[in-house]
Amino acid sequence: MNRPILLLLAAVLVLPIVVRPAIATEIWIFAIFGLGLNLLLGYTGLLSFGQSTFFGSAAYVAGFLLKQYGINAFLALGIGVGVGAASAALVGYLCVQRSGLYFIMLTFALNQLFYFIAYQWTSVTGGEDGMPGVPRPALAGIDFTNPLVYYALVSVLFLASLWIMKRIVESPLGKILQAIRENPVRAEAVGYDVPRFKLLAFVIGGAFSGLAGVLYAMLFGIVPLEAIGFVFSGNVLFATLIGGSGSLYGPVIGSFVFIWLSESVSTLWARWPLLLGVAFVIVVLFLRGGVVEAWSRVGAKFGSWRSSKPKS
Amino acid sequence: MAILETQELTKAFGALTAVNGVSLGVEAGTLHSIIGPNGAGKTTLFNLLTGTFPPTSGRILLDGRDITGTPAHRVAHLGLARSYQRTSVFPAFSLLENVWVAAFATGRSWRGLAWRKTERYAEVTARARQALADVGLGGKADAPAREISHGEQRQLELAIALAAAPRVLLLDEPAAGLSPEETRKMVALVRSLKGRYTIVLIEHKMDIIMSVSDRISVMHFGSLIAEGTPAEIQKNPEVRRAYLGGVAA
Amino acid sequence: MLYALMGLGLSLITGILNIPNFAHGALFAVGAYLLVSAATAIGNFWIALLVAPLGVALLGLAIEYAGIRRLYAAGHDYQLLFTFGLALILSESIILIWGPIGYSHLPPPILRGGLDLGFTFYPKYRLFVMVMAGLLVLATWLFLEKTRYGAIMRAGIENKEMVSLLGIDIHKLFTVAFALGAYLAGIAGALTVPIRGVNPGMGVDMLGIAFVVVALGGLGNLLGAIAAGLLIGVAQALVAGYWTEASTVVIYAVMAAVLLVRPQGMFGIR
Repeated sequence: MNRPILLLLAAVLVLPIVVRPAIATEIWIFAIFGLGLNLLLGYTGLLSFGQSTFFGSAAYVAGFLLKQYGINAFLALGIGVGVGAASAALVGYLCVQRSGLYFIMLTFALNQLFYFIAYQWTSVTGGEDGMPGVPRPALAGIDFTNPLVYYALVSVLFLASLWIMKRIVESPLGKILQAIRENPVRAEAVGYDVPRFKLLAFVIGGAFSGLAGVLYAMLFGIVPLEAIGFVFSGNVLFATLIGGSGSLYGPVIGSFVFIWLSESVSTLWARWPLLLGVAFVIVVLFLRGGVVEAWSRVGAKFGSWRSSKPKS
Repeated sequence: MAILETQELTKAFGALTAVNGVSLGVEAGTLHSIIGPNGAGKTTLFNLLTGTFPPTSGRILLDGRDITGTPAHRVAHLGLARSYQRTSVFPAFSLLENVWVAAFATGRSWRGLAWRKTERYAEVTARARQALADVGLGGKADAPAREISHGEQRQLELAIALAAAPRVLLLDEPAAGLSPEETRKMVALVRSLKGRYTIVLIEHKMDIIMSVSDRISVMHFGSLIAEGTPAEIQKNPEVRRAYLGGVAA
Repeated sequence: MLYALMGLGLSLITGILNIPNFAHGALFAVGAYLLVSAATAIGNFWIALLVAPLGVALLGLAIEYAGIRRLYAAGHDYQLLFTFGLALILSESIILIWGPIGYSHLPPPILRGGLDLGFTFYPKYRLFVMVMAGLLVLATWLFLEKTRYGAIMRAGIENKEMVSLLGIDIHKLFTVAFALGAYLAGIAGALTVPIRGVNPGMGVDMLGIAFVVVALGGLGNLLGAIAAGLLIGVAQALVAGYWTEASTVVIYAVMAAVLLVRPQGMFGIR
C-alpha cells in the first residue's frame, strides 16, 4: 500500500476527533463529488460546470423515495448512483459533441434547466424551501442516526470510491481519457470514438456525483435547492482546482480546504459567499499553480504517486 | 491487386475543389509516393483516406472492400494508419505511453478496459516497445514526449502509426523540419519499413522521393496529372511545368 | 429584446476574449441597482438611465484591467472560477449595499400606463424597452458592421493572431470589448427595473438565459445572438401566457431541443 493511501486512512480515523463528525462526513462526501468531477476535468480535460445536476438529481430522487416510500439505505445509495449516471448520460449526450467554451456553457445551461425544474416542481422538491425530512434508515441492523456511525459508513464509501477511481485511472480507460485531453484528433485517429469515451467519462463522473448527493441528503436530512444549483457546481470546481486537478488525490485535498473554508466562514457572516468569491479570485490570480504545485511537491515525495498522476 | 484504391475521389469545400476525381491504386508491399506543389490536395487526400471527412463523391477501397465514409475512429481498426505533417502526439505522456495508447486501440481485445492496470497488458506493451524500437527510440521509452527533440518527435509520430500494426501506412511528410542528418536517418527508417508495410508517402524533398519510391503519383490543383516510376516521372514535362523548376534533376 | 442585448454582449465577450464570463449576469444586476440608486439620487430617470450603464462599463473596464487581463493564458477552468468568484462578490455586495429585499421602481411619468393597441392594452414602458433595446442592438450592430473599429473587433473574433500581427493593440481591443459587453449588460439591467423591479437573484437568472442565447446563436456570432435572443424572448412570452411556471424551463428546453438537432446552435458554424 502506498503512502498517500496510508495517509488517507489515518486521516479517516483521526478526523472525527479533530472536527465534528458531521463536518468530517461532509468532507468525504465532497471528496467523492470532487473525484467525479476530476475524472472529467483533470483526466479528460472536460470542464463540466454543471456537476450539481447529477448531485442534486440523485439527492432529490433518492431523498424522495426515502421519505415517501421508506426504501432501505442500500437501495437509496444504488438509486443515487443510478440517477447520477443516468442524468449524466442525458446531459453528456447533449454536450459531448461540442468542446471548449460551448461545452462549458452547455453544461451550465443544462444545470440551470434542472435547477428550474426543481425550483418549480414544488410539490415534489419543495422548491426554494428544499426537501426536508429525509430519513437515514438502518442497514443490516446498523443504526445510522448516530453521527459517528454514519461517518463510518461515509468514510468507507469514500475509500471504496477512491479505490474504484484509482483503478479506473490506472486502467486503459484512464490513458484513453488523458489521450483525449492531450490530443483529441490523434486519439480519434488511432482508433477511439472520442465522443463515446467522453460520454463514458461523464457517466462515471455522474455516478460518483450521484453517490455524493444521496449521502449528502442523508447527512443533513434535507435536500436544499442549492444542491442542484450552479453555486454548488462552482464549489466543487473550486475544491478540485485548489487541490490540484493534476492528480488523483487533488479533489480530496481540495475538499478539505473548501469545507474548512466554508464552514469556518459561514458561521461568521451571513454574507460569506462574498468571501468565498474573494477566495476564488485570490486563488486564481495569485495562487494558481502555487497551492497546486506545493501540494504536488509534497505529494511527489510519496513514491508511487506517478502511476496515478494524470499529468507530468 | 491493389491493396488501396481510390475511384474518382473528389472533395469540394464549397467552390474550392481540393481533390478532383483522383483515381489511383497502391500495390501491396510497395512504397507509393504522392508529390505535388503546395496546395495540390495531397493532405486532403490523406484526410479522405483516413475518414477525417467524407468525400463529396468517389470511392475508397481497401483490399477490394468499399470503405468510403468510414468514420475516422474506425479507420485505424481497418488497418490504415497515418502520421501527420505537423507533429501530433500526446505531450504529457511518456514515449511508451504515447505508443501504448495507439497499440491498445487496435489490440485484440478491450477486456478490462476500465479496471485492469495498464501494466498487465503484456501483449500491448510488447507491441508498443517494438514500435518504438522500430523507429530507433527504444532506449527513450520513459522520456516525456514534450521533452524530446524535434527529430525524435517525428520518429515518435511514426511510431504511433506503427503501433496500430497497420497494413497500410500513410506518411505525411515524415521528414518535415528535419536537419540533413536527421533526414538521412528518417529515409533509412522508411526504407526499413518497406516491404513490411504498404506505404503511401507524401514528401517535398525530391531526393527522398526518388530514392525510396516504387511508384509516384503527381497531383496538381487537386487532380492527378501523372503517374509512373521515378524515372518516368523525372522525364515527364507536365510534372516539370507544375513544379516550375522544383524537381531535382 | 432584452435577451438579445444580453446575448449580444456576452457573445461579444466570449467571442473576442474567449473566456467564459460568468459574471455577465451580475453585471446585469449591478446595472439595475445602479439605476435605482441613481434615479433616487438624481431624481431623473432618464439621466440615471444614461449614467448607470456607464458605471457598469467602468466596472467592466476595471475588472478586465485588474483581473481578466492576467488570465488570457490560463485555462478556461481558472477563467471560469475567476468570473464565478466575481459574480459571487458582486451579488453579495449588492445585498450588502442595497439589502436583501428587492425593490420595485416606477417607470418615468411619460411612460406610465398602457397604450391602446386596438386588440390589447400594452404597457407603454414595455414598448419603450422594446424600442430602446432594439435601437441599442441596432446601434451596436452598426458599430460593429460599419465602423473601422467594429470591423477590427469582428476580425478579433475570427482570428486574434492576425489582428495583433496587423499592429493593432490586442489588449486594448479586449478591454474595449469587455467594457462594451458590460455596458450592454448594464443597460439591459437598467431598462428592466421598472418592469420587474430589482432583487439580488436577478443576475443569476439572467446569466443562464444569456448563455442559452449565446449557445443557440453561435459563439461570437453576433447576428445569431440577436436572433436567438429574440426567439427565446418570444418563446418565453408565449409560454408564459399558458403555463407561467414553466416559462423559464421552456427556455432551456428549447435550447436542449435545438442542440439535439443542430449541435452547433442555430447559426453556429461547426
